[in-house]
Amino acid sequence: MASGNNSKPGLIHRVFSCLAGALLIGLAQHSFADDEPAFMLQGFGTLGAARTTSNEVEFVRDLSQPRGARQNWDARVDSILGVQANWRVNPQLEAVVQVVSRYRYDRTFTPEFSWAYLKYEPSPNLSLRAGRLGTEFFMMADSRLVGYSFLTVRPPGDFFWSLPFYNIDGADAALTVPIGDHLLRGKLFYGISNGQIALAQKQWNIDGSVMAGGYIDYQAGAWLFRASYANLRFKHDLPIEDVLQSYLPQPLAMQAAAYLATGNTRSHYYSLGAIYDSGPWQLQLMLNHCDQGSNAFESSDAGYVLAGYRIASVTPFVGYSWASSEARENALNPVVATIMADAHVDQKTTIVGARWDLLSNIALKAQWDGIRGEPTSIFPYRQERAGWSGKMDVFSLTMDFVF
Amino acid sequence: MGLKRIRYLLFVGMVLFLPSAQVWAELVVVVNARSGVAVMSRNEVINIFFGRNRQFFNGIEAQPVDLVDSHPDRGRFYSALVGKDLADINAYWSRQVFSGRLQSPPKMRTSEEALKWIVSQPGGIGFIELAKADARVRVVYELQH
Repeated sequence: MASGNNSKPGLIHRVFSCLAGALLIGLAQHSFADDEPAFMLQGFGTLGAARTTSNEVEFVRDLSQPRGARQNWDARVDSILGVQANWRVNPQLEAVVQVVSRYRYDRTFTPEFSWAYLKYEPSPNLSLRAGRLGTEFFMMADSRLVGYSFLTVRPPGDFFWSLPFYNIDGADAALTVPIGDHLLRGKLFYGISNGQIALAQKQWNIDGSVMAGGYIDYQAGAWLFRASYANLRFKHDLPIEDVLQSYLPQPLAMQAAAYLATGNTRSHYYSLGAIYDSGPWQLQLMLNHCDQGSNAFESSDAGYVLAGYRIASVTPFVGYSWASSEARENALNPVVATIMADAHVDQKTTIVGARWDLLSNIALKAQWDGIRGEPTSIFPYRQERAGWSGKMDVFSLTMDFVF
Repeated sequence: MGLKRIRYLLFVGMVLFLPSAQVWAELVVVVNARSGVAVMSRNEVINIFFGRNRQFFNGIEAQPVDLVDSHPDRGRFYSALVGKDLADINAYWSRQVFSGRLQSPPKMRTSEEALKWIVSQPGGIGFIELAKADARVRVVYELQH
């Protein structure tokens, strides 16, 4: 059973309070510095509404959300507000705090510290960070929450919904090496994941799970290539003990719990990506493979291609994404089999939409996602019902802004 | 229709009342003459102005300076360098800023301020009209139109 938040939130809280305090002192002292501003307060947000053509499942942005959109317009999926404070202590040292409010695991919009770190740059092309850091699964940026900064309404779902890991408490190091007029950039990170993943009426605590990995980028003119790897060792088991207890006699329930244990199992994540960004064209291709150590999850492959072409202030885009997982052959008993079936995905999505840059800091987007999958494809969704066909359309409208 | 006429009038006005050198002036990338940088390729210029590379070949920290959106040279510069609108450039920077990677270069209101920045920073680099480049800076890249 995943126990609650007993993994020393006190300490983390204190660290953040200190950082926030330091930032405020920085504001007081440095906001009137004559040269570059040492302190900056910036923000971003999205007002969004999404609806689908199915009442059989609820559509979520990713697995961090407990409830999602059905046939009625729903503002929870994409709406976000974030504020970020940067304090440049000196040319080598910077403190950054970012607070984000979005619909999260506990069905509230409670603001959270998404980042709180110190960045030290001993040389211009070497950066060392420590604190609460973003995880860089999205090649375009290490935040997937700033709608204004990317083309589509949200990062393609088939690729990202299984990655609700937004930050770690840890450290990372990034180094850039020029090769001719190309660039090689490498990054390594290690940290403790924090957060909760919504699961039926409960939450799965991923606090304390160790996450480590890295990537290599190669920038050649308008092309950017990336190969990345990450692994996650889950600390806690899924909160399914009471389900097992109520459907299975005691010895079988214990056996099933051991069989479906996630604690101390490892997930490996491999990904390849390419981006072409030149003139009006934007092309993206990403592929990933997840190797799951626990019987509770299925190993999966996913990918997407996306192309956008800007015409004046409007950028229409089309894309295609897919995700499929490999069902495990053995299940102990029908109850375990039902739980394991929850982790299955097998679907393809066509994406068509447009982004309109209304003002220099506001973009409007409209998007259609045509999801065509098997009825067994239920891992990405919430509240699935018996009649789920695996097929639905998702319509989304957003207004993204930065300030 | 009205917009078209206004644009036409503006165009005629510019041609008539401004020295033509200023309207069609060639934009160049310049560095602080003491930076030791002599010439740059287009990719090198892009890498520096997009914050991807923050060092010149000789190890000196590159300190790019930008202009405010309303300055006409800014739009011309990015359109000639990467063929992108300012909205794209701004989206790029918000992506960097809100992923904690980079802060955008400081934005000056005028070319004169940008020039002042370039000559006051050892690794100063910016874009100005060729006619404004003096002995304190070195032209390292000419933008093709």
